[in-house]
Parts: sequence; structure tokens; C-alpha cells
Amino acid sequence: MDLLWTISTALLLCSLLSILWKESDRRRNRNCYLLDFVCYKPSDDRKLSTELCSDIIARNKRLSVPDYKFLLKAVVNSGISEETYGPRSIIEGREECPTHDDCVDEVDDCMYRTLDQLFLRTGVSPIDVDVLVVNVSMFAPSPSLTSRIVNRYSMREDVKTFSLAGMGCSASPIAIDLVNNIFKTRKRTLAVVVTSESIAPNWYCGTDKSMMLGNCLFRSGGCSFMLTNDPSLRHRAKMSLKCLVRAHIGADDDAYSCAIQKEDDEGRVGFHLSKSLPKAAVRAFAENLQRLAPKVLPVGELALYAVRGLRHRLWRSKEAKTDAATAARVNFKSGVDHFCLHTGGAAVIDAVGRALGLAKYDVEPARMTLHRWGNTSASSLWYVLGYMEAKKRLRRKDRVLMLSFGAGFKCNSCLWEVLRDLNDGGAWEDCIRAYPPQTLVNPFMEKFRWVKEA
Amino acid sequence: MAALLLESLMLGPDKNESLWPSVGIDAIHALCITLLVIIVATAYFMSRTRPVYLVDFACFRPTSTCRVPFATFLEHARLMPFFDEKSVRFQVRILERSGLGEETCLPPTNHYIPPCPSMEAACEEAQLVIFSAVDELIAKTGIKPQDIDILIVNCSLFSPTPSLSAMIVNKYKLRSNIMSFNLSGMGCSAGLISVDLARDLLQVHPNSYALVVSTEIITPNYYAGKDRSMLLPNCLFRMGSAAVLLSNSHRESARAKYRLLHVVRTHKGADDRAYRCVSEEEDEEGNSGIRLNKDLMVIAGEALRANITTVGPLVLPVTEQLRFLATLVARRLRGARGWKLYIPEFKCAFEHFCIHAGGRAVIDELQRSLGLSAAHVEASRMTLHRFGNTSSSSLWYELGYVEAKGRMRGGDRLWMIGFGSGFKCNSAVWRCLRTVGTPVEGPWSECIHRYPVKVPDMIKLL
Repeated sequence: MDLLWTISTALLLCSLLSILWKESDRRRNRNCYLLDFVCYKPSDDRKLSTELCSDIIARNKRLSVPDYKFLLKAVVNSGISEETYGPRSIIEGREECPTHDDCVDEVDDCMYRTLDQLFLRTGVSPIDVDVLVVNVSMFAPSPSLTSRIVNRYSMREDVKTFSLAGMGCSASPIAIDLVNNIFKTRKRTLAVVVTSESIAPNWYCGTDKSMMLGNCLFRSGGCSFMLTNDPSLRHRAKMSLKCLVRAHIGADDDAYSCAIQKEDDEGRVGFHLSKSLPKAAVRAFAENLQRLAPKVLPVGELALYAVRGLRHRLWRSKEAKTDAATAARVNFKSGVDHFCLHTGGAAVIDAVGRALGLAKYDVEPARMTLHRWGNTSASSLWYVLGYMEAKKRLRRKDRVLMLSFGAGFKCNSCLWEVLRDLNDGGAWEDCIRAYPPQTLVNPFMEKFRWVKEA
Repeated sequence: MAALLLESLMLGPDKNESLWPSVGIDAIHALCITLLVIIVATAYFMSRTRPVYLVDFACFRPTSTCRVPFATFLEHARLMPFFDEKSVRFQVRILERSGLGEETCLPPTNHYIPPCPSMEAACEEAQLVIFSAVDELIAKTGIKPQDIDILIVNCSLFSPTPSLSAMIVNKYKLRSNIMSFNLSGMGCSAGLISVDLARDLLQVHPNSYALVVSTEIITPNYYAGKDRSMLLPNCLFRMGSAAVLLSNSHRESARAKYRLLHVVRTHKGADDRAYRCVSEEEDEEGNSGIRLNKDLMVIAGEALRANITTVGPLVLPVTEQLRFLATLVARRLRGARGWKLYIPEFKCAFEHFCIHAGGRAVIDELQRSLGLSAAHVEASRMTLHRFGNTSSSSLWYELGYVEAKGRMRGGDRLWMIGFGSGFKCNSAVWRCLRTVGTPVEGPWSECIHRYPVKVPDMIKLL
């Protein structure tokens, strides 16, 4: 009997141990590590100076002089430098009628250049890639962009590919969310994500002011990055994903239609940005922060926030408190060391910085990215991260928050923990020493001084 | 242990009670063992993969005002300013042999001469086809839009910003923490890619509902040129859409129709020939269209064989698997010429087949490759006849046909096979959980009594 009892207990203990082992193995494989990322640096013949922008704008004979002034003012005041890049088809004068090949070449150049480098740097072979995600919002050819990559790099037959489109400037965290979920279902998985935007087929040739701003702000850019949940690669990884929050306020009609691709009165397709966009951004932002804060902030800060909130309710202040102002009272810097803000424009960066209570040092990477690369849509977060790395700001155990906004209207964020000291110059290698520059004022401000007087 | 239990049962409670102290197990030991059993059992059940149920699905039923009978197609083709006589005759010849019937539908803009595709019209078509299907699904399942946790939309050839998924979020006021994904450019097999993604997400998020919407928007994709290899889609593609509700919630196991067993994805894009056989291009005059190469059927066959290699071991009886393995090995050793590849008897693994209604040639090729009878491919042929090639949603129209015919019994196994640009072959295996009654509503409700029809090899139009 004793033997029987011993055997049955031993068997049960073994089962329990094996279940515990399975659970700990599952947890070890649930992490999402960023192995490396490569930002796209187009060739120098694609640089878009203010002068060139002015010539391109002037080619549109439908524009009146006030329209021309409005656009030039937007360009000159955008905080964008002379070093940003545009698509070849637009520089060469085909902005009104780009061919399919123009569009494909633009995206191919970005994808293949960054992927070549990514595979070289990580030493990973394309045949080992298990999951491939591409997000390019405004260009989705058939076969898909993922199929183009599978063909070029001869990837495996069982590679899981996903081509996301139409998901706007905040698509990077969406792609990471997709991969992160797949990582929880499979062990030792390697994923490659390519994020970019297509500008060539989306140049607006009309006269609707709400649609012209896109022409002024969007620039060519992209990024390829590699993720894995394999614990044996942790020592090579740069960062580990801690949490990801997606907020979609598309249920509200104003928010849904504040940034939308549509035709103007003359039937020309453009990207309409309405006056209610800032309001939608604030709402989406608040929605995101409400869910993000408990995951990111230390318990002490949350307790303090709760106490302040309670005090405010008990002793009601006469001043009206907005969501943004309330958010400022939460000190995000207690849980986050670096902020990768979407470079939607100087106003967006400044507004988000104020709302989060950030200093000039904290928004510098985003402002400098806007200056050097312009608004590269979903990939902008990675250029901002690249700036921080090139400036050697990223140290082990630092926490990096990526925050972006996009059409829909969405606000998506993700928090990373840096796993080792990072020093790579990346796409910023040749120019990081010149940053931050003495001034962000456009050098053509004098030449185009008349636009200020308009 | 079992023998001991049996012995103690035979003895009776009194004898057991007297034996108890002699066994040496006291109360604490018994409690420990019981607790351990409970813990282990709970952990085991928690670590199993979550079942994915298909609660229900709904397909868009086009109105008869969108019908394109052969006479209309022929008349319009002749009146289009950009088609010459050769292009018209070519399209008519395709239509004669296509397997399409007279009730297939095109969106309103395609009824104009010439069609006037605009972004607004494309959005209107998207709203019409998608919202109709989703409204019907909500009515059938009683699901509240607020309960949807995951939303996946696939539409290959139309992807506005904000996406179609954002359009659905806006229309149905879905929650702000919804996990939405919009897939585009992924071809006619993208519906199963969406199901695969939904399945992965449902493994991670318990007690969740996933809404999968598969469609293709025809409006912006009419080819207005003369290149023959790009005229086929004009003849075959028709409007359609499907909305599918998946869940991993235990509550739904009682009313769900199907359970997802396997999804297998095969991507032949590494092979240049396969990659180029379906591609979006511009012709010499700058007109955009989808080019289909002549070796499309051969490539589809190869992609299917690659897919079968993975699906086979999951579904086939052991004898069939061994036979298949033996021929594979023999072909490796003696070369492919020496041995014909053995195609396993999939008929013994499945009761129903839904093969993408890409065209008559695709269905013929698969029927031949898999050794299927006419009855097995009836759902595909009839869907092609009644609705045309509706791209990724065609599989759901075919399933609707099987249900409308009252053929779906509890325990039946279903194999869905989709093909698409890239070149991909994706398949999904479902098991029917309960006998499905003939639906009262649905795209087939008004016409199922007329089916099956005999589809002639050729209908003379000219």
C-alpha cells in the first residue's frame, strides 16, 4: 500500500511538474524581442529642397496665387529641412500621372534596401522567416507586397504573410500587435515587418485646401524590423515589448471622417484633413492613455493620481479640467524614459509633448526626425528611435514609449524595455553630429518672406 | 490502481470502512492527492488549444437590378468605346465557356457605358455589399456589435484610407479596444488567411468573438483596354461579400454550426513562374488590369499538391497516408518520371468540398487532381453559375449552397480550398457540429429549388 501510495503521488507530482514546466516554457516563449531595425535612406538624388517643392507646387496650373502662397507657407513653416526625400516620379514631373511601375519601384526600393541590410546585420536567412507583415497604407497591388518579398527572397512555402493596408500612420503598432499575438501561439518564431508609405500614387492635384497639406508634409521613408519570441536570441535583441494599447474611436462619425481619402468636387482623389482632427486626436489620445497608464506607470504614481483625482472631486476646483490637462498631471516620465512620438507635424509633436508634460529634451528626437525626414507616416516612430540610438541615449533597462496617431481615428502605443546599451548610428550615421541644429527655421524663410506676410 | 478500485467496489462499503485504516491512507494524504488531481486536471484543460467555432455566416444577396445577363454583357461590350471587335469576340468566347449563368451581378457603376468608376462609387459598393452581409449576420446570430472583440477584413483590390475595417467600426459603433486588421492585395484566397489570423487571435484571447468580412470590390477594377490576357477578370469577377462570426466561447458550442480543425497556407511565391501568373499591371496604353497567364491551371495544380502534402497527414486515414508517402519516396529515389504521384482518396476524409469558384477551368482541374465526382464539386459549379467569381467570398456562397440543399449533417467534414495571386493555395478543414436546417433567408433562398442546373460546356452567344 505504501508503495502504491508512493507511486501514485509520484505520478501526480510528475504530471504537476510537467504542467508547470509547460507553463513556464510558454511564458518564456511569449516575449516579443526586437532583434534589429533598419530605417530607409533613399538616394540623394531624391532630396526635396524647398525650392524644388516650390517648383513642383507651381506645376499645378489649377492653383491660384493664394493657394500657392498657402502651400508654400505650409512647407516653409513645417519644420521640415532641405534633406527630406520624395518619390522619383514626382521629382521627374510625373506627379499627376504616375505609372504602376513608378509606384511599385518606389515601394520596392524601400523594402529591398532595408531588408537586404536587415538580413545582413542579423545574420538571419530569409528562409528562416516564419511570419512576414507589410504595412503600406495607400498602395496595395496584386500580388501583394508580401508576395513581392517572398518572391525576391525565396521564402518558404509555409511562411505566414499579412499585407495590411488602409490602416494609416499608426499602423506600426498594429503590425507589432499582429506579430505579438502570433508569438503567443507558436514557439521559436521569427517575424519580419516592413512599414512604409506610398507617396507616388497619392499626390493631390486639385485645389481643395484641406487636401493639399498631405503634399507638403509626407515624405519618403520606411523601416524593416525583425521580431522574435525565441528566448535563445534574447542576448542579441535590442528591446523587449512590454505592452501594447490600441484605441480606435472610429465609432464617432467626426473622428472617422476627420482624416479620410476621398474625391474633391472635381473628382480628384486626395487625403482630406478636417478641422476636427485635433479634437479627434485628443479624444483618441485620452482613450489610449487611460488604458496605457495602469500598465506603464509605477504603483506610486498611480496612487498619487488617484489621490489627486479624489481630492479634485471632493474639493471641486472652479477651473475646468480638460482631459489633456488631467493627463499632464500624471507624470509619465515616472514610468517612461524615452518618447517616440509620431512626426505628424510640428503642432502634433508640441501638443502631445505638452499633454504628457515633456521637456524639450524629450521631444527633441521627434522634432529632429520631422526636420531630417519629414512625416514618413507609419515608419516615423522608427526614425525617432534611430535618433535616440544614434545619440546613445538608449541604455539597458530604459523604457521607450512609441505613440502614434492615424486615420480611422486611432491612437496606438507600445512600451519597450531596452535590453542592452545601444550605439548604432543607422540611417542617422552620417548626420547625427549635426543634430540638434542651431535653428530649425527654413533657410528659405528670407527668400519666401512674402508668404509670411500673406 | 484500476484493479484495486474494482476490488474495493465489490467488497461493499462496510468492508471498505474496516479496511481503510489497514491501507495506511489517512485523511490528509487523501486530501493532498485529491487536490493534486484537481490542480493537474485544471492546468491540463487550460493548456489545451481553444476550440474555434463558426457560429454562423451570411452572404450578400445582390438585387436583380444588378443582374448582367449574357445579352447585356454582349451589348455593353459592343458599345464600349475602348473595345475593338477582337476584344469583344474574345470576351464573349470566354463568357460562353465560363460556366457563369444569367443572374450574376455587377455593381451599378459597371452598368454605365462606359463605366464611371470613382472612389465614391467604390465606397458605395463596399458599403452595400459589406453592410448587407453584416446586418444579416447580426440578425441571424443576435450578436451585439459591442461584443465583437476582433475584426478582420480582406478586400484585395480596393483599400481606401481609413480602411474598410474602420468603415465597419464606424457603421456599427464597435468598441474602442477592438483588434482590427485590414488585409489587402492578398488575392482570392485571402478569406482563409483572415480565418487563420482570427484563429490565432482566438487562441490568445479567451471568450472572444471575431468578425471576418471577405469581399472584393469590382467598381475600380474594370479593365478598359485590349490586352486579352487582362480581359478575363471582366468576364468572370462579380460582386459578392461574406461575413463570418467565429468564437472560442464555450457558450457558443451549443449553437455553433462548425468547428475549425485546421488551416494550411501554402505560398508558392518563391517560384517566379507562380509569382507572375496573376499580376496587376498596366498595358501598353496605360490601362490598369489583372493579367492572368496561360499556365495558371498548371500552377494551381502544383500549389494544390504542395498544400495537400501538409493537409493530408492531418485528415487522411493512415492507409492513404502510407500510400502517398510510398509514392513520394519512390519518386525521390527513382525520379519523378518513374512513378506517377499517388493522389490520396480525399473523398474518404471529407463529405463536402468547397473549391474556390475561380472559373470553370479551376474547378475542372481540381476535380481531376483530387479524383472527385460531379456531386463533390456541385456546390462550386453552381456558385460559379449563380454568382460568378466573387473572389474570397465564393467559398461561403458554396457553403451556403450545401446548407440550402439540406445536405449538411452533424459530424460531416468540410474542406475549403482557395487559390489566389502570389501564388497561394490555402485550405481550411471544418467539422459540422449539428445538422444544419435549410436556411429561410440567404442568397440561395429564392433560387435553390432551381438548382442544380446542367451547365453546358459552351453556350453559343455569337
